[in-house]
Amino acid sequence: MAEQQVQITDLDPQQLQEVKKQLDEELDHLTNSFGQLKQAQAKFRSCMSDIDELTPATTDKEVLIPLTSSLYVPGNLGDVSNVIVDVGTGYYVKKTRAEANSHYKTKADFVQQNLDTLQKTIERKQENAQSVVQVMQMKLQEQQQQPQKA
Amino acid sequence: MADGKIAAVQAKLQSESREFQKLESEMAGVIEARQRLDAQLSENQQVLKEFGTLKSHNTIFKLIGPALVPQEQGEAKANVEKRIEFIKTEIARIEGQIKEHEGIVAKKQDEIITLQREFQALQAPSKA
Repeated sequence: MAEQQVQITDLDPQQLQEVKKQLDEELDHLTNSFGQLKQAQAKFRSCMSDIDELTPATTDKEVLIPLTSSLYVPGNLGDVSNVIVDVGTGYYVKKTRAEANSHYKTKADFVQQNLDTLQKTIERKQENAQSVVQVMQMKLQEQQQQPQKA
Repeated sequence: MADGKIAAVQAKLQSESREFQKLESEMAGVIEARQRLDAQLSENQQVLKEFGTLKSHNTIFKLIGPALVPQEQGEAKANVEKRIEFIKTEIARIEGQIKEHEGIVAKKQDEIITLQREFQALQAPSKA
């Protein structure tokens, strides 16, 4: 790949503009993904704290169960030691509280790993974009000076 | 007479370019399908991995419409395995399509370049 590398200083301003545009688009996409991952992670974490709300002491406590977003019916907590977890693709699994907690922890950690690699990629892209801008400015200055010399 | 020829080449060039653009957008569609399959594959693999760590007290439920229906662990596992198998063959099929499409696109590109050269060659003497 190194052999194929093009020096950005060899490109003319128009090409640089293209490169910059492409980099910007990629950055947009990546930061978007980053936000989505963050959201997913926050969801997993809030699930974990929800599980912590269920303790043996909350057995038989009354709760309001949402049937729709605006209609609730009262109910009692019958089983606080087990929860049902969405594992994806339409499958749900009954797990104990501890199991569910570790399940969400693994998920959140997995997302964190992805976030870390994504962060590095974004930083690298930002550096690239910045150097492109620098070269672009350099070229522009050169262009402005040339006619004066002539 | 040369003008007529130039116009003909130009018209051909335009129609070819249009076709090329159509091919490109088709290609984008196929690639998108490929990415969707990839996402499905990894989601299913995650589920299978999850099933692998289950103990006998972990009942599996399948979402059917709005209802959760309990399902045998073995059955659920077999279902997901089958699904992964299916997605893999789909991916192989799409890969083939992508390859085929790449070939067509490259050929079109060559044709356009040849036409462009022809066009330029026709224009050059008129400038001189």
